[in-house]
Amino acid sequence: MSRSADVPRGRPGPRKRAAPAGPTARERAAAEPTAPGPASADVPRGWPGPRKRAASAGPTAPEGAAAEPAAPGPASAGELAALGERVSAARAAAEARGETFYPGASRVHLAAFPPKERWDDWVELSSRAWPAREEHHYMLVPTTCFNCESACGLLAYVDRDTRQVRKFEGNPEHPGSRGRNCAKGPATLNQVTDPDRVLYPMRRAGRRGEGKWERITWDEALDAIAARIRAALAEGRHNEIMVHIGRPGEDGYTERVLASWGVDGHNSHTNVCSSGGRTGFQFWMGIDRPSPDHANAKVIYLISAHLEAGHYFNPHAQRITEARANGAKVIVLDTRLSNTATHADYWLSPQPGSEAAINLAIASHLIQTRRYDAEFVRKWWNWQEYLTECHPGLPATFEAFQRVLATLYTEFTFEFAAAESGVPAKTLAEVAEVVAGAGTRFSAHSWRSAAAGNLGGWQVSRTLFLISALLGAVATEGGTFPNAWNKFVPRPIHTPPHPGVWQDLSWPEEFPLAQNEMSFLLPHFLADGRGRLDTYFTRVYNPVWTNPDGLSWMEVLTDEAKVGCFVALTPTWNESAYFADYVLPMGHGSERHDTHSYEQYDGQWIGFRQPVLRAARERLGETITDTRQVNPGEVWEENEWWTELSWRIDPDGSMGIRRYHESRAKPGTRLTVDEYYGWMFANSVPGLPERAAAEGLTPLAYMRRYGAFEIASGQGALHEAEVPPGELADLGVTPIGRVYTSAPPPRSPNIVPLGAPGPDEQGRRPVGVMVDGSVRRGFPTPSGRLEFWSSTLAAWGWPEHALPGYIRSHVHPAGLAADELVLLSTFRLPTQIHTRSANSKWLDELSHTNPVWIHPSDAARLGIESTGDLLRVQTEIGYFVAKAWITQGIRPGVVACSHHMGRWKLAGQAGLASGGMMATVGLDYHDTTWAMHVSDPVRPYESADPDTARIWWSDTGVHQNLTFPVHPDPISGMHCWHQAVRVTPAPPGDSHGDIAVDTAKAREVYRRWMEQTRPAGTVSPDGTRRPHWLMRPLKPGAGAFALPTCERGSAGSPR
Amino acid sequence: MTEGPVDRLQRWVKVLDQDRCIGCHACTTACKSENEVPLGVTRTYVKSVEVGTFPQVRRAFQVTRCNQCADAPCVAACPTQAMYLRPDGIVDFDKEICIGCKACIAACPYDAIFINPDDNSAEKCNLCAHRLEIGLEPACVTVCPTQAIFVGDLNDPSSKVAEIVKREPVTVRRPEKGTRPGLFYKGATQATLDPLAARRPDGGLFAWATQGGEHDPGHVTSGHPGRPNSSAEALLSYDVGHHAPWGWRVSLYTWTKGLAAGGLLVPLILILAGRMSWTDAAGRWAAPLLALGFLGVTGILLIWDLRHPMRFYLIFTRHHWRSWLVKGSFIIGGYGGAVALYLLGSLAGSVPLRQVAAGFALPLSLATACYTAYLFAQARARDLWQSPLLAPHLAVQAVLAGAAAMLPFAQWLGPRPAVTALAVLLCGAAAAHVLLVLGEISVTHPTEHAHLAADAMTRGRYARFFWPGLAAVASAVAAPWVGPAAWVPAGLALLGLLAHEHAYVQAGQSVPLA
Repeated sequence: MSRSADVPRGRPGPRKRAAPAGPTARERAAAEPTAPGPASADVPRGWPGPRKRAASAGPTAPEGAAAEPAAPGPASAGELAALGERVSAARAAAEARGETFYPGASRVHLAAFPPKERWDDWVELSSRAWPAREEHHYMLVPTTCFNCESACGLLAYVDRDTRQVRKFEGNPEHPGSRGRNCAKGPATLNQVTDPDRVLYPMRRAGRRGEGKWERITWDEALDAIAARIRAALAEGRHNEIMVHIGRPGEDGYTERVLASWGVDGHNSHTNVCSSGGRTGFQFWMGIDRPSPDHANAKVIYLISAHLEAGHYFNPHAQRITEARANGAKVIVLDTRLSNTATHADYWLSPQPGSEAAINLAIASHLIQTRRYDAEFVRKWWNWQEYLTECHPGLPATFEAFQRVLATLYTEFTFEFAAAESGVPAKTLAEVAEVVAGAGTRFSAHSWRSAAAGNLGGWQVSRTLFLISALLGAVATEGGTFPNAWNKFVPRPIHTPPHPGVWQDLSWPEEFPLAQNEMSFLLPHFLADGRGRLDTYFTRVYNPVWTNPDGLSWMEVLTDEAKVGCFVALTPTWNESAYFADYVLPMGHGSERHDTHSYEQYDGQWIGFRQPVLRAARERLGETITDTRQVNPGEVWEENEWWTELSWRIDPDGSMGIRRYHESRAKPGTRLTVDEYYGWMFANSVPGLPERAAAEGLTPLAYMRRYGAFEIASGQGALHEAEVPPGELADLGVTPIGRVYTSAPPPRSPNIVPLGAPGPDEQGRRPVGVMVDGSVRRGFPTPSGRLEFWSSTLAAWGWPEHALPGYIRSHVHPAGLAADELVLLSTFRLPTQIHTRSANSKWLDELSHTNPVWIHPSDAARLGIESTGDLLRVQTEIGYFVAKAWITQGIRPGVVACSHHMGRWKLAGQAGLASGGMMATVGLDYHDTTWAMHVSDPVRPYESADPDTARIWWSDTGVHQNLTFPVHPDPISGMHCWHQAVRVTPAPPGDSHGDIAVDTAKAREVYRRWMEQTRPAGTVSPDGTRRPHWLMRPLKPGAGAFALPTCERGSAGSPR
Repeated sequence: MTEGPVDRLQRWVKVLDQDRCIGCHACTTACKSENEVPLGVTRTYVKSVEVGTFPQVRRAFQVTRCNQCADAPCVAACPTQAMYLRPDGIVDFDKEICIGCKACIAACPYDAIFINPDDNSAEKCNLCAHRLEIGLEPACVTVCPTQAIFVGDLNDPSSKVAEIVKREPVTVRRPEKGTRPGLFYKGATQATLDPLAARRPDGGLFAWATQGGEHDPGHVTSGHPGRPNSSAEALLSYDVGHHAPWGWRVSLYTWTKGLAAGGLLVPLILILAGRMSWTDAAGRWAAPLLALGFLGVTGILLIWDLRHPMRFYLIFTRHHWRSWLVKGSFIIGGYGGAVALYLLGSLAGSVPLRQVAAGFALPLSLATACYTAYLFAQARARDLWQSPLLAPHLAVQAVLAGAAAMLPFAQWLGPRPAVTALAVLLCGAAAAHVLLVLGEISVTHPTEHAHLAADAMTRGRYARFFWPGLAAVASAVAAPWVGPAAWVPAGLALLGLLAHEHAYVQAGQSVPLA
């Protein structure tokens, strides 16, 4: 492999200045008499104009201008007018040449982006040399941003001379982000040129965490890790292999690899992120994500901060802003003053955990005033099933249901919601009226925020969708779609079968309904002796830093009896990687392959992330067979890594693994990324081959050139589509109208994840639902309809929560001591990338500390005099010391702290020349008590990037997550982030960033929360571990669902 | 605009729609990327202010950057035309001829200009002129997720910017400074537009960043340090660090220059008043050597303060006459010539030559003393420096410095009447200085900015220079009555004047403009 570009350069170095052709304009100007300028007395003696006229006068300039020689002398009004005309003509000229004109925000003749026809050789002028015209030739290569889940398009400007990326702009061909980005998009350049990045495979040389490393070859790493996995599989220790994903940024690749190994080894960060939000949608629709059509909404209802951080921040912010300009009203529920709240027409700052009560008060208002869409409810809710099961004495008529419905939420008055939330009843009544007036143009979104903060937080999204479902604003223009209607996951070349094992460490019996893996309990399960891990991979994941209770993670990660081998696949050093056995460098967003598709409007698109230097050099005629040939150092990418690793696990194919990583075109050789994606784009993306052919390209070449493709737009209400007669054979129709067929399913190239209701007793598959006499596609729920009442929740031990309802949070005021406050620890800043921000200097410069937001009244009561004073924030298991930010932007009784900050490195790791933008800490422990103290703050340092010597800040904030115990929601499995805390002025001796934790107390809290669970062993209606129909990433085969014995599950209380 | 060819010109302007701005800072990083702007300096960023009291509270944003003024103070102040106004409205710059004098930074009422540490030249937003040139929108316009920034031709009635600027309520920053900005804000609030409307947070902190400047004596933190201009609760929650352009070298230069001016001016006054003759050694040797020596020091300081010292000659070869830095350089040069001629007369023993030289030196010494008032006044938003009494005050200071410096020489070299006259002159100048200073600080300041600057001088960071300085100068009032010890108050007066200059120059720059 090549070792080109060993050390990434901090900033593009000094460039050659084009030799000025003859005297500069200034020199000319100085030599000539000044013509009195008519425009104003300010006209200097020579507006120099372009000093050196380019050989071709600007890439978009009309041809005629090219030959025009530089006019000597000062710029006259005439010359400027000519310039104006020339620029004005740019659009016309570009279009006359048949080139694409990308209009920009200004709606003028200026383009937002270079025409795609010129992306091979685009000439720009240097901003540094200006006003001298110094030309640079770039190749523009699209990729996808990797800095949040939005996956916005990027366009890398690859300098044709230096073969380095000069900058990243947006990709105008991307349908989701439409060429625009947030601060994190351009900052991708910082990550690429980060002087701290990991460039070579490293193996630990001392004890775990000691900070001694040796550089190894990829072959050494691959062989050692493959041997471990091969041995584990051969010995039937399938459950000792786990891959833990932080930022996925792709659809299904990793799951496919794990399935090929036959392991149930996929773990994710989702239960510390969005599974509370997902659960509420899943029980309604059988699909766990909403896809709000904000752009066309009349009323936008957001529970969280979608204008700065919410799921699909930039794409949604664009569309929310469009809707506002068109008169839409925005309602925001967010306890702290977010950037989103500031733009809301109605900002409600509820007491944390009361959001569902507000939703229900609004729903109740719609019901009581009969302003819900009765026709939609009649057709699409499973009211019939609800009546049958819960009100068997009533006639199964819609009128009967309406009468029941009218009684269900009467206690949720505005006054009740006001008492719970602290938001005045008058305001709630006003908001309810606005919602009532939205009709089907009501777009709503809840994702993390309250759903991720509270016990029962999943009812926040469940009650939110209740409002949408009452209004009939489901899959309507301006309404909220099930995400699967707006997402496309192309079927890959090889599809391995479902694994035949069940991973109890991720999917324990106590949480049969957990939306995602119980990832954050892993250290406790390992400590419980529930299992061990032979080989544990993290992938762009930093469990010690990201999860609650990170010191418990550290305890197990440093224990080789519990974790045999820890492999960190990461682009950057981080708090977890310091404890790894192998640190293997993976690429940033411009250095790796992935495909993805996200629901950002009513349409379906796929995006392609690619190593941009690979694409650029291939365009220049080179043959690249391995991404390491173009990446800095020996940075690799996971696609090729997994293929190579799988190949080495099963070198002769005898284990049945290799065939899923084998070329179809050249059997016996490894599947290449070109073949993998080439096959996918040619066979699984409708319309792409035709579109590519129209440009004379292969589908893969098209995606390499444009980075994204829109498959469809304006999907509309797919649930209403009539099932074609070909799919209707040997029909079975249940009393509630679920329709089953024995016709085989059509093979769809779209394998988007959704609920998978099981067959009927005759083994026929569910195909639709009977609505007014015709078979409609419906929803992927057991009933085929929207499940107002969830038979799953009722049957799996939680009948009291089968309807949308209100669960009092673990931080409900009734449960707080008089001196306790609620800490909101989850909010994101628009300028940070979770645990990768410290590798982006521009983002860190903008935001590098996380003071605790506290209302002046609380500050005064607690004796906190000024902003900047140190606070001690006491949690159940320890405390952290932070600065106070005294602000009106937070509800009294609540404090808030952004979750990005407090990045650290251990003093012993200093020799790595890593973590330059992280504080150095001392970490002491005695038995189970831990203490962290900042020994050396961030300071300027010398590196390949001159900017590191200009670091002007020293504060890096505080790593508060270390002091949080685990709070697993017994139903959704979501970690409930909010903390009941005591806040005091920091006593003498405390310093900023101090952490103290007792992991024994963390164990106690863990056990207490585990007692709230209702394990499958005690509640499963059918002897399985989990309702089979529920979504699950990397779902094992049906056989693995069976509970091993019925006696287990002692950790939970019986119903 | 009147009819004529000008109408066909473009007038590039920008509109910042704060109703759409979500404070995401995409513009900040896109600009850093496009223009390769180092850490510590910015061409554009998003200021934010929290307004109101819970639960009626909002966070107001302001995309903050160069205002592309039609009457750009930076262009007027720039000695070399490195900063220049294009007839199409863009205030552009040429780093190749920037001498790094920071006059543009001092002059800018928006604090939107900085010296790039990579190349030591001044820069700022220029609407991405290098992109406009090839038909592309500026980088911030392209990146903005919510399309809150747009650019266009104000002279084209069909342009979006013209539609908004001419039909909708828009505001500009600091209209009272008369700069006619080409940057229009829609939906901005006074809480962000007025740099003193929001309170500066305590503790060196903003909501998600620190304020910086821990080790930077010239650091200027935005926000009002006390009770802000707005009665509404307003708290600055984000701003970038700012830096006073002129440091101790400029403070010292005002003092050395005063000495240089007064060093010859005062003896000439004595000669004209008949208290000294053309042949007295003090007037013949001490005065020109003092003046020339301090002029030399002044020149060294001025060049040392340039970020491109080797380009200082561009002041003379690229000059334009609106810049008082240029005029001052020529005045100093002229005065230096006159003093040199005078010294030549001393060397040649030629009284007529000295008399001719004095004819030039007398007005030029006054101009040397006083031009700084006009130089400072070009810093239009530094209100402390806008006093109409500054020029006469500088003349008084020159007399004070000259008398104090000459007094020991007169005591040493004679003649006796000169000693007495110098003591009286020193006494009078010291008294006048003290009265002028007391007037300055006791008067009600016309603007909050001037008030804060005076406050910084008398009660804040610079009080430790200001009050001892004033007392030291005041002690010189006693000069006529202390006999042979008069050199003591004279020395104190010089030290006091130096302390005063430092307090005045630095306090004038201590008030935030952004």
